Order: sequence, then structure tokens, then C-alpha cells
Amino acid sequence: MGLCGRAWARCGGPRLPGGPGVLWALALGRAFPRPCRTGGWETPGTARYGLWAAAAAGGGVPAPRGVRGLRSSNPFTRRQEEEWRRRNRSALAYIAAAAVGMVGMSYAAVPLYRLYCQATGLGGTTGAGHSSEQIESMEPVRDRVIRVTFNADVHSSIQWNFKPQQSEIYVVPGETALAFYKAKNPTDKPIIGISTYNVIPFEAGQYFNKIQCFCFEEQRLNPQEEVDMPVFFYIDPEFAEDPKMAKVDLITLSYTFFEAKEGQKLALPGYQ
Amino acid sequence: MSTAMNFGSKSFKPRPPDKGAFPLDHFGECSAFKERFMECLRHSGYESGACRQRAMAYLECRMERQLMANEPLEKLGFKDLIDEKSEAKPEKL
Repeated sequence: MGLCGRAWARCGGPRLPGGPGVLWALALGRAFPRPCRTGGWETPGTARYGLWAAAAAGGGVPAPRGVRGLRSSNPFTRRQEEEWRRRNRSALAYIAAAAVGMVGMSYAAVPLYRLYCQATGLGGTTGAGHSSEQIESMEPVRDRVIRVTFNADVHSSIQWNFKPQQSEIYVVPGETALAFYKAKNPTDKPIIGISTYNVIPFEAGQYFNKIQCFCFEEQRLNPQEEVDMPVFFYIDPEFAEDPKMAKVDLITLSYTFFEAKEGQKLALPGYQ
Repeated sequence: MSTAMNFGSKSFKPRPPDKGAFPLDHFGECSAFKERFMECLRHSGYESGACRQRAMAYLECRMERQLMANEPLEKLGFKDLIDEKSEAKPEKL
């Protein structure tokens, strides 16, 4: 301890074993110690080497000093330092594990959220409950009459005449309903169309179930041909129990036809 | 509908139909049934519940002519009409 104090408190830096030299001091990465100015040099012969040389004399401190070595030579503080280092390493391990865990969770979140949405029906996604057993057993809710209006659109590049055959119908949730659209190809070459649909308001779209329709598949119309296109749908009885749908009594079903390229296969929307 | 950057609001997600798409009735084989159905709708003030009998007839026509997959009508939501029919038959007899 005594040696320790002497080595540090004095000017000229610590007394190092292995002789003086600027290179030796630099190799250890030590900061410049205070220069000696107490009436001349501390030890004879150090004037030639400068500040660092003052470290030459004096008892060497036999503590190992590498870059990762312990700073103290005192056994008690060394133990404490070792303890600190061990704790630092374990803290680092915990933090690294937490970081890896976060990355893993962000990858796992996608399928988990999808499962959660399907179970709770959040965000307009549908569960797996649209089976024929449900249609068979559902009861119509007679006190909620909903007006369903129909809209038909064509994309500008397709030359079909497409329109609904009824402007509106009145349905109740839980009862299946049939509606018709009409499409005509006034040109003299066959045209293939494919359609998609939209339900407004968006939130009502999750209750609007189509049993069968003419959308998402290519429909080919020969020249001068006119066809009836039916839509067979029902509104889920749970519509009547949703508080968000309490004010909704108008649903608009809108179909839009696009021209399809020959042999093009489109993927059906939804989770597959 | 998906052009605006409104990530918070719900968007519409189209779903495929449960039983797929109807094949097109190119030869108008069921047009008569469709006309009767549309006539019924016009007379009843476009009330769907009043014309379910004729809707059922149209779907039966489609099934007979292979324009629709054969399916028992109960599964298409016409269970009450089938029950009425079966009740009416023993009464007639």
C-alpha cells in the first residue's frame, strides 16, 4: 500500500519496472503524469529522458498491467474489481439475451397476431365460422331491416355494359337473399372480365357473406352476349348484436369489372 | 381504398365467396325463373323475404342444369321453406 501511494502521488508518473523510456510508458497507455518541477530532477540522470524517466528509480510495483488487467495492486480492491467485472459480464449477458428475445418476439408477433385476430374478429378479419352448418341453423332477425343498394362499375378499358337489375332490396340479417346483375358485351369480339367487390360501410363488410357470386373468377362473354349474374348472400345475424352497427341500415354492395388477360391466374384474397 | 396512408382506420378486405363463383348462364336456361323472381321483387317493393320461394326455384333450376353445385337447400338457408313444403305435402294427401 505504501508503495502504491508513493507510486501515484508523486510527480513524474509511476515507478515502473523494466527501466525508463517513453515507449514503455506509451505502451501502457498511461496518461501523462504531472511533471516534476521541485527544484530539479528527482533522480539523477533522468534529465536526459525527460518526464517519464523519473519513474525509473524507486521500487518497482510488481502488479501485472495489461490492457485488460486489473488496475489495482491491492488484493482487497482487486477482489472487489473482479467482483465488479463478473457482475458487469453477467449484466451484459442478460441484456444481450433480452435483445435477442425482443428480436424473436417481433418475428413471432406476426402469426400470433393473426391467430388473435381470427379468434376475436378484430379489425374486420373473419374467423373460420362461415360454414354451411351456420347457414343452416341461423335464425333471421326480423326486427332489423337493412336496405342493400347495388352499384355496378366497369373499368374504363373493358367495354362491357354492366348494371344491377334491381337498385335495392330489403333484407334482414340471418336470411339468404338473391340479387341479379346483368352484363352485356356489345362488341364483336369475346372479352374476358374479372370482378371484385366492395361493401360500404367497411365495418359492415365483415358481416356481409357471399355464398356464391361471380367475382374473382374470369368470366368470358362472347360477342353480343348478355348474361344474368346472380349474387347469393346473407348478412350474419351477429350484425344485430354489434353495437357499432346499431345505426347502420344501409349497406351498399359495389361490383367492379376489369378486363382479364388470357390465361392469367389471380390469387384469391384472404389468408391462404 | 388502399391509396391513402391511413394506417389506423379499418380498410375493406374482400373475401372470396363461400361456394365459389356461379358459372355463367350463357344460354339463358334459367332466365324464366329469374324473370319470375324479379317480377316478384318489383311487386313486393323489393323485399327479399317475400320472394324466397322463387329464389329457391331459381337456384333449383341452376342445380338441375349443372350451373351450380348440387347442395341440399337447407344448407342454403331455405330450411323453413322446405319444412313448409314437406308439411304441405302430407296435408294435401
